[in-house]
Amino acid sequence: MDSDCLTLLPAVCLVLADPKQSPPDDTSLEKLLDWFKELHSQSDEQVLLQHQPCLKEFISSVCASKTTDPAILSFTLKLTGLLAGTKQGFHLLEEGGLLVCVFDREAWCVCDLWEDASVRSGWMQGLLNMLKHRQALDFICQKGLIKVILQLQNDRSLFVACLANQLLVHILNFLTSSNMTNGGNAVGSSESSLSPDWVSVSTEIMTGEVEALSSDDHPRVLQGLRLLSSVTSQCGEPIRSMLWKDVLVPLEVLINRGSESLTQPLMSVLQAAVRTPLLGKSEYKVEKLLEAMLGSGNKKESFQCAALIIKLEKCPEVLKRKAIDIILLPLQCVSAQSQDTEKMNLVLKEQLSHKASCISLLMQSLSSLAELAYTKYQFDGIPIHSVTCSVVLLLRICFGNCPSSLLYINTSTHLIGCCKVQRCGLDTLGALSMYEENVDLRKDIFSVLLDYLQSPDSHATVLKKTYQATVRWIAVCSPFPDLLHFISHDLFPVLEKRTCDLRWEVRDSTLEFITQLTVALNGNIGFIEALHTSGMVSVLLSSLADAEGYVRASAVAAVGEAVTSSFQQTVLVSNSNLLEEALKQMMTILSQDTEGFPRRAVVKAFTSWLKGSHLVTAVHPSLSSVLSLGGNDFDWEVKMHTLELAEVLMEKTLTCCPYAVQNFGSSEKTLLTQALSKLKEFGLFDLLFNCLFDCDRPVCEKACALLLKLRTLISECTDFDYALVLNLNGNRWGDEVQSRYLNKQARGSVCVTNGVTASDERTDSDLHCIKDISLPMILHILDLDDMQRTLRLSSDHVVNSARSLMEDILSAAQQSEENTVDCY
Amino acid sequence: MKLYCLSGHPTLPCNVLKFKSTTIMLDCGLDTTAALYFLPLPLVHSPRLSKLPGWVSKDGAINLEKELKECSGRVFVDSQPEFCLPEKELLDLSTIDVILISNYHCMMALPYITEHTGFTGTVYATEPTLQIGRLLMEELVTFMERVPKAHAATCWKNKEIQRLLPGPLKDAVDVWSWRKCYSMQEVNSALSKVQLVGYSQKVELFGAVQVTPLSSGYSLGSSNWIIQSHYEKVSYVSGSSLLTTHPQPMEQSSLKNSDVLILTGLTQIPTANPDGMLGEFCSNLAMTIRAGGNVLVPCYSSGVIYDLLECLYQFMDSANLGTTPFYFISPVANSSLEFSQIFAEWLCQNKQSKVYLPEPPFPHAELIQTNKLKHYPSIHGDFSSEFRQPCVVFTGHPSLRFGDVVHFMELWGKSGLNTIIFTEPDFSYLDALAPYQPLAMKCVYCPIDTRLNFHQVSKLLKDIQPLHVVCPEPYTQPPPAQPHRSDLMLELQPPPMAYRRCSVLGLPFRRRYERIHLLPELAKSLVPAEIKPGVSVATVSAVLQSKDNKHVLQPVPKPAPVPPSKKRKRVIEEPPEVLNPKPLLSGAVPLEPFLATLHKNGIMEVRVEETADGHILHLQAEDVLIQLEEDGTHIICDNNEPLRTALRDLVLRFLQKL
Repeated sequence: MDSDCLTLLPAVCLVLADPKQSPPDDTSLEKLLDWFKELHSQSDEQVLLQHQPCLKEFISSVCASKTTDPAILSFTLKLTGLLAGTKQGFHLLEEGGLLVCVFDREAWCVCDLWEDASVRSGWMQGLLNMLKHRQALDFICQKGLIKVILQLQNDRSLFVACLANQLLVHILNFLTSSNMTNGGNAVGSSESSLSPDWVSVSTEIMTGEVEALSSDDHPRVLQGLRLLSSVTSQCGEPIRSMLWKDVLVPLEVLINRGSESLTQPLMSVLQAAVRTPLLGKSEYKVEKLLEAMLGSGNKKESFQCAALIIKLEKCPEVLKRKAIDIILLPLQCVSAQSQDTEKMNLVLKEQLSHKASCISLLMQSLSSLAELAYTKYQFDGIPIHSVTCSVVLLLRICFGNCPSSLLYINTSTHLIGCCKVQRCGLDTLGALSMYEENVDLRKDIFSVLLDYLQSPDSHATVLKKTYQATVRWIAVCSPFPDLLHFISHDLFPVLEKRTCDLRWEVRDSTLEFITQLTVALNGNIGFIEALHTSGMVSVLLSSLADAEGYVRASAVAAVGEAVTSSFQQTVLVSNSNLLEEALKQMMTILSQDTEGFPRRAVVKAFTSWLKGSHLVTAVHPSLSSVLSLGGNDFDWEVKMHTLELAEVLMEKTLTCCPYAVQNFGSSEKTLLTQALSKLKEFGLFDLLFNCLFDCDRPVCEKACALLLKLRTLISECTDFDYALVLNLNGNRWGDEVQSRYLNKQARGSVCVTNGVTASDERTDSDLHCIKDISLPMILHILDLDDMQRTLRLSSDHVVNSARSLMEDILSAAQQSEENTVDCY
Repeated sequence: MKLYCLSGHPTLPCNVLKFKSTTIMLDCGLDTTAALYFLPLPLVHSPRLSKLPGWVSKDGAINLEKELKECSGRVFVDSQPEFCLPEKELLDLSTIDVILISNYHCMMALPYITEHTGFTGTVYATEPTLQIGRLLMEELVTFMERVPKAHAATCWKNKEIQRLLPGPLKDAVDVWSWRKCYSMQEVNSALSKVQLVGYSQKVELFGAVQVTPLSSGYSLGSSNWIIQSHYEKVSYVSGSSLLTTHPQPMEQSSLKNSDVLILTGLTQIPTANPDGMLGEFCSNLAMTIRAGGNVLVPCYSSGVIYDLLECLYQFMDSANLGTTPFYFISPVANSSLEFSQIFAEWLCQNKQSKVYLPEPPFPHAELIQTNKLKHYPSIHGDFSSEFRQPCVVFTGHPSLRFGDVVHFMELWGKSGLNTIIFTEPDFSYLDALAPYQPLAMKCVYCPIDTRLNFHQVSKLLKDIQPLHVVCPEPYTQPPPAQPHRSDLMLELQPPPMAYRRCSVLGLPFRRRYERIHLLPELAKSLVPAEIKPGVSVATVSAVLQSKDNKHVLQPVPKPAPVPPSKKRKRVIEEPPEVLNPKPLLSGAVPLEPFLATLHKNGIMEVRVEETADGHILHLQAEDVLIQLEEDGTHIICDNNEPLRTALRDLVLRFLQKL
């Protein structure tokens, strides 16, 4: 393939260098560059430039042209960098003076092109590509390019500025890499010393950095901070500590000045520092700086900072405690029962009195709390009970149902009906179920959750969050006997009403919740009894006829789980009716539903039933219909799910057959044959072969994989009985197998010994009369391995090749020429 | 300007505004909640209700067996239900010039006001308001007249007796002003006084004020009113809605720059969001039908029912309840459903455009066509033979005291499968259900009130910026049941003026200007003089004529030619001042230049004293005082007329003359 491409390359270069041609789109150029990169990495120091002189010509003609398009110039810059990435390539380009021509913009014919951001970005990308050996760095330093890069840090294009930072980090890293010390090739950030030759380079960059941080120009400070955090996280020693020492003073100034817009970038610098050994060394003051950022909760940015500190993985415990104290302040203030206003600082008061800041503060507080709860953080000095009560109270305030006069009546008007805080609060409440000591509060918690579930004004998304929190709490409280009372007396009536909700989203999440509940309380006899005696099951069954496809799908899943649970407690529940009704309705859905989701859900329900141990025999009668309906579905995902069902069925059926045992006795052979005939009865082979020739690639792939498994299994069974034959007639796949069989026969590569039975002598003319072929034979005829190989390639692998890309470029050029002629 | 408040009810207002020389009544709502004190009127003989024991006081001293009956632990009046009228004693109703009606719910007391009170004015309302209002009145009359009661109970109203009765009868107020329902004849007579108006139509009242109805978005033809003169503007906002339901959306911009905004008709259930309630309504309905029960919806025959039917039209199919029949039973059911389809110009844009397709604007036409919705004038007749269960029945009256709903309560109340869903916010559902206890049927309260809530109204007020707001008292405090909900009240700066029944408010602004027209010939004769850039002034002598509240300046009629006489010459010479009036002066006398002028004229010794209003100059040698103030100059100079004149002329030099 590559050789094909290389022959096309000179023509492509000509087209690209031709200023009369409009350049191909950016994506094509990027793809072309990718191909070069791949070629370059494969070439193993073998220099592409030597074999392809057209490249040098292309570069020089682009540089010499006065009408070069910026896109082409940018491409050329990147390409040149790439080619100069090896020492040999570098020399070849330097010899001709091409390198200077390309990277020294003074040498360009058109200086205006530098104004184009894509050119500046290409220039830096080129340098990045090139910077893989010492000579490249020499070149950059000698030409004074560091200065240009430092200037580009403040470029008006964000992409360019970001790239400049990246390049500076790369240069700093490169100074300490093994390339510089022993001439190796790898770029790494392992600790090493800085050779004295390069001190000036690092000093230049670091001075630039200090200047940026001390600047009054906000964007410049911002870029400086970005570079600092990249260097801190990406560069090794000694660069990191050298820079950190230099910037410490301006950094402290910035932190103490306390500008809200710099909080985020300052925190990312400190975040990066925390992850490095700098944290442990007092001279670098990382911890001190973090503390200064945090203040004592009396600055606007304290809360944001506290939220960020809590997210740090390696954070000094003292600092974390302090951050937690601060982040919980808004929550505690809003839900404070006492009139104790003195504790509250002015900043917080001010922030809570404005709706927008009040909401964002509380959300920060709640989400940080949730984050801590998920890790089961042990709060020292703050009882988890009181925190949980605050969250419950806040949820009540948001509901407009606040029990007593509050500190901030104003705050409550901001919060009543505020979906954002409600959702966040419910998430946090759910997370707080991690603490066992909270189960004492379950009565309050379930009551507030129930309020949300009952309220006609609860937004669909709020209800969804309520369900999530409820499932968590129910799972935690399952051992308590009062839970069942709550479920059957309070929860079920609400759920019944919610399954009739006007909004399909609510009906859907209600059914999903019931499914999750059934799964979570799997094995809880009391719950299963309540579920089956409360009329919930008939509610679920009637939801199978919902007008919305998603809801029907969720109803199918819920019914599926209900059936499963009923079979676990056969003694308790008379379930024959439920299974019968469920099967009847589900088969109707699978055969008649106009939407894919419910049909997929039906197949999935069967798969899950089959995976369980109780239901296998009960659903057997329906399996062949499911396999045939699912395999012939229009929706490829239904087919995929059907194949998954087939896989489980194969496993279940074939595990009865101890094929892995070495010494096969005749009885064992028979067992495998029996199992296979059983699968044949289910129509499993029809399904697999049909899917193998399906129009959807993933379906074919899956079917192929299953057939390969089957082939392995049969081949392991040394003395397989060939009596299992499949009928080819009347099947889509039958014709395919027949034609392949014919092909193979024609090539004489198949030696039919047994397994093919036909009534007459087999000649070319009557081969289509072959009706029955044995399973192993079919598996043999089909070259499954080759099929799998082809199927693994993505469906656009032909269109996506470099060759087709080049052909496209060439044909586009040709067309535009033709069009030019047409115009005259 | 005064406002007489004849009703304190926040959604059934009745106020009278005296503005300039006009007396304008704003709405006349009828509070029907008094009916809750009465026993239900059954359409079919009810053994339960007919066998109720009469009430006798514990000591046997008061025996009102005929009038009061004990039912489910409460005492009810066994008589035709009565209603609480707007206050009639606060002012003479015959002096009312016009009545402005804002929507059909707020006109139900009209016959009580226009009949037998000497009222001779005009009632203004939009066409849908008139027609649907007529339907509602007709329905009310039919409900009452179908079940006549021989005797009216009055003994219990005796103050001495009433205070001994058990609650809540004991606490009923103004019982003597309660009246039984009017007759159809009175309705017709009252409605004959209605003059139809269209939105934004300007109606002149006696040349003094102009009234304009604006769309209020609450119901078909519902309106807010602007009452304005040339210099004053009063806006009257009654039941309005910003939600997208069937009526034309609310017009807000014309309410801007009002001196006074009278704000009534906000939602009665501020905590119930109509969308949530509609969802609640649908899910309870579906749950009941799925379980095989019937649903009873006590409602008015116009208004929210259109939206409910539209919502159900979509919901029933999606909830897989497509075959369940809906019944709408009311003496005016047919007319109500048909009227709604013909008032296209009063509907929201979406519905209006359907008419051009042409399609009926409301989908209930399709429900009727497909036999899913059937309507009957009463439970008697066709309904009884076609009735199929489970079903959904919409019928009145929402008080559950009269109308066909009483029958369904008796019929379905005993089964727990059935559900009654209250959607009208006017009545407390617990009180409504009191005479039917014990009740097995499920009760669901889903009040759907689309009128403005406090959040919307505060946004609206911020937008239209009235100088003063007048509103019923309940709006100025949080609901009694939720004292912590400070978001459910009006908080304005300056605070709103609150009224209650029988309040008389002096509205806080004074009329300062009146528009006067100049006749062209008079205008021609004016000689304007510019006193500062852009402002010119002219004197005018004319005759002011006022007629029909219009004021015109006319030229002074030429004096009738005096018969020639000997004294003619003298007459002309005598009043020279009249022909050449003294010029009007303007400007101020600047102190320093004035002193300089005095100096120039030989007055040397001047002592200047500063006062609060200006300066006093003491001309010591002449013993003269000159007071220079902002709006006057006085020269106090005894017995020296030449000096005074000289000084006057010096002052005049600094002033402009007109």
